[in-house]
Amino acid sequence: MPVTLKGTRVDRLLLLSGVSLIAVAWLLIQSFMASGPAVAAVYHGKTLLATYPLPLPGQPAIHFDAHGELGISEIVIDQDGARIAASPCTTQQCVLSGAHRHAGDMIACVPNRILVAIQGSAEARFDAIAE
Amino acid sequence: MLITGERPALHELEQKGRWLALLMLAIGLHMFEASLPSLGPWFKLGLANLVTLLALIWMGPKAAVLLAISRVVIGAFFIGTLFTPTFIMSMAGALTAAFVMIAAWRWLPGVSLIGISLLAALGHMLAQFITVESLFIQQTALFYALPPLLLLSSISGWLNGALAMYIAARLP
Repeated sequence: MPVTLKGTRVDRLLLLSGVSLIAVAWLLIQSFMASGPAVAAVYHGKTLLATYPLPLPGQPAIHFDAHGELGISEIVIDQDGARIAASPCTTQQCVLSGAHRHAGDMIACVPNRILVAIQGSAEARFDAIAE
Repeated sequence: MLITGERPALHELEQKGRWLALLMLAIGLHMFEASLPSLGPWFKLGLANLVTLLALIWMGPKAAVLLAISRVVIGAFFIGTLFTPTFIMSMAGALTAAFVMIAAWRWLPGVSLIGISLLAALGHMLAQFITVESLFIQQTALFYALPPLLLLSSISGWLNGALAMYIAARLP
């Protein structure tokens, strides 16, 4: 079995097909995401708990306590984006993932069943402010 | 004390020893990956899946599936996530990857370990998202984050496949 990074013809075909499908899906999602105001949506399981617009520079940060399966996830939404500041989960991956502000970004705390999703045209909104 | 019954053949013992060595390696890699900072939700390098792939080509489908299950259970026990949602996601991803590997290895002509690893990495990531969306956070918004993570999985799957070929060529 020769060792190479190139792979066989079938491997390359699989890669091309996979990447093409992913790229199309990504473009479709981006076009869908860009149609709306930039908001941070907080979910618990099936339930939408809250929706907040991303604060503009100078506006105060928003603090929201999301009640999940294990306890309260403390969510902070400020100019840097949305982040989970504290969580009752053991791994703390959601806290460590930091702030997110790009449309399509998300922070998920699966043990506590909390999802923070950034939706809408976050980047376009910040560009407008810069002008 | 008289020991009756047949002693296992040397070849059989060697196979068992080899499987256990692979399991130890897989558990170590599983825990190493869990300690690394995440590039995205539930994205890992997939090094533990590489060991499943090696078990498949050296010992067959049964050994590969058993190895995938064992390393998730034992790894979760050591990390402290046994029977938590993280464990269920990990199990779903590892089992899907193992079955995708077996299917590609058996029925996809012309594919090398690189292609098998690529498909397994994509299957692993998809299975994790579907598990989370079905069982824990029932929001389609989850899938918005999927395309970039699938792209990263394609890269890591390809590189892991090349690494598996390198190892398989040197440890026949």
